[in-house]
Amino acid sequence: MLGMTKRTFMALAASSALVTAVPAFAQESGEIVIGGSLPLTGVFGFAGVAIEAGIQDYIKIINEEGGIHGRKLRLAYEDTGYQVDQSVAVFNKLTSQNENMHLYYGDSTAFSRTINPELVRRGDMIMAGASFATEINDPVNFAPQFIAGPDYTEMYSILLEYIAKEKPGAKLVFVNSDTEFGRDPIASSTARAKELGLEVVDQIITPPGAVDVSTEVLKLRRARPDYAIFHGYILAPLPEFMTQAKQLGLDTKFMGTFWSMDSSIWESVGDVADGFMGVMPYRYYYDEEEAPMLERIRQMRPTYQATGYMQGFLTAMLMSEAVKRTLDEGKELTSTNMKAAMNSIKDFDTGGIIGVPISVPGNTVPVGRIYQYDAGEKKMQPVSDWISVAE
Amino acid sequence: MRIATANETYRADEALLQTNVQWAWIGVLVVAMVAAPFMLNNYWLYLACLVAINVASATGLNILTGYTGLVSLGQGAFMAVGAYTVAWLETHIGTPFILNLVAAGGTAALVGILVGLPSLRVKGLYLAIATIGASIILQFIFLNWDGVTGGSRGMNVAPASIFGVQLTTYFQLYWVLTPIAALMVLGAANLFRTRVGRAFIAIRDRDISAEVLGIPLLRYKLLSFAISSFYAGIAGGLWAYFFRSVGPESFTIGESIFYLAAVIVGGMGSILGAIIGATFMTLVPEVLRFGVEAISPYVDNAGTLLSPVRTVVFGALIILFLVFEPQGLAEIVQRIRRFFHLWPFRN
Repeated sequence: MLGMTKRTFMALAASSALVTAVPAFAQESGEIVIGGSLPLTGVFGFAGVAIEAGIQDYIKIINEEGGIHGRKLRLAYEDTGYQVDQSVAVFNKLTSQNENMHLYYGDSTAFSRTINPELVRRGDMIMAGASFATEINDPVNFAPQFIAGPDYTEMYSILLEYIAKEKPGAKLVFVNSDTEFGRDPIASSTARAKELGLEVVDQIITPPGAVDVSTEVLKLRRARPDYAIFHGYILAPLPEFMTQAKQLGLDTKFMGTFWSMDSSIWESVGDVADGFMGVMPYRYYYDEEEAPMLERIRQMRPTYQATGYMQGFLTAMLMSEAVKRTLDEGKELTSTNMKAAMNSIKDFDTGGIIGVPISVPGNTVPVGRIYQYDAGEKKMQPVSDWISVAE
Repeated sequence: MRIATANETYRADEALLQTNVQWAWIGVLVVAMVAAPFMLNNYWLYLACLVAINVASATGLNILTGYTGLVSLGQGAFMAVGAYTVAWLETHIGTPFILNLVAAGGTAALVGILVGLPSLRVKGLYLAIATIGASIILQFIFLNWDGVTGGSRGMNVAPASIFGVQLTTYFQLYWVLTPIAALMVLGAANLFRTRVGRAFIAIRDRDISAEVLGIPLLRYKLLSFAISSFYAGIAGGLWAYFFRSVGPESFTIGESIFYLAAVIVGGMGSILGAIIGATFMTLVPEVLRFGVEAISPYVDNAGTLLSPVRTVVFGALIILFLVFEPQGLAEIVQRIRRFFHLWPFRN
């Protein structure tokens, strides 16, 4: 009987432990919380750490200026390991723990897609993230979301416009990884290239994580394009492509999109990286053109900050601006009001994070610039003006 | 101390729950599960639903790997088949929720039978590699059969609907996912009280002897694959309704490893093992978040610095359990039970 009692006691103890484990948080406060499912570990960890720093720094700047309508901003974030189920778990954890969470940063296209119905259901939040997927640039179906830059198709358009200007009728090859990320802009961009009088002579799809690319390089040799545009990669297998192409005597110019454009990742590649070009929606940490906000960043952080930092920084800036405009009008912080406020952003000065005044006509900021890597200086140097592809 | 439990009938001897204490515990569990949605917040409800899905899938894999001895790294791919089936039926036909789930299980079972065909010739690690091969083929199909699977973008899934009620919140989903998972676990537990289940165990213990005993190996191995994939298919279907979007990157080889690890960590060939293993693998990384949170006030920039530690601790915990509890976590439960059976005597 005593044993039974002990067991009952243990059961009670276990269930009470469970009950107390359920956190009762969330005190009412005036602060506005930015939630974050951030990939601090895993394949995308390098970006997550930089993004977090960017968001935190902008929050610091805003809070030092007294917040938005006196309400301070705070980032509540956790690591997702770049896994969708963990990203959703973090979303649910943070929304359960924090009141006044009206802004959110997501880590992947899959997460943006998965959480979208929940965002629509809640109706009290807008979200941006590390994904520039074309799919998200849909103000009807992805109404509570936006992208703090051009989507991948728009990035291609910026590259294509640059190419059309530099070398009309140029021959192109698209090289994409066999992932959702890689395949994103292929169809739309092939059509766009045709419109601009460019010829896409081949499309190469590489398996995810491919290291040996000799077959693909031979295809490139056969096609002999003027430009090869890579997308769906961070770095590998780009250096391998470039090395082999140089050995074969090809004078193809290699190009990439945002996530391949951090200059620190190219440093280790050495001379082969020289001349690599790509589209960059933001300025680099070390850009010398006048930019008060960059100056401020350099004061806050004396060492180089990666491209993810700029992305996080601008995302926080646009979110804050949307909140500010909503509160200015005396409206509630709902998805609809904040998104309308976001879309009211026209010719907005980012303090030089982007070199031209920006607008958010839909779900993106459709502007970017072509930069080229200079292996001697170990820096990305601008080779074009800011190109807007707003329709 | 456990006394006076001598069974007087074969029926009592075979019963899943043999003592009043066991019944009482199940009662406590049922009450806790019914009360849970009213006491848990959205985050814990999300995890409870995810645990239910993972328990269903791990139980299925346990039938194949734990009870029949056929190592498979294809569970993720079978789940994907189920998830895509649900997504397709929901989008194109609009058939009812339960029917879609059964169809998901059925389709996955058919694919499972096909994948299981090599199991007569190869076993052990060789079979594991064969199942990886099948996963790669399926992955290729998901990515390239645009018309059906939506290609690289995948498909969105409308919310499940029962009696006109759309299941959009975790609170609503909990009431559907948990009973289905419980039913599946009960089904698996009962399976091993039948001839089929015992045949599986015989095959695991020594397949040649099993054949000598009159068990047709091919038929039973394929049956095991079919049942296991049926479970995976249903779990995948539930997953699709839960996350409302399915893509080729939703179920990678990592998912298959996750379920195999869950079965091994929990205890192979034990119903309780799959439940504990899936729960452990799902909840421990999340519980470790609270560890990070607790240390946060004392460390600058804790979120960024401690997140990798969390991953390492999770990995280390798995290794430690495998080293110190090779029979799986279920063995710890058994040991506690034995302790109370003998209490207050030590041995």
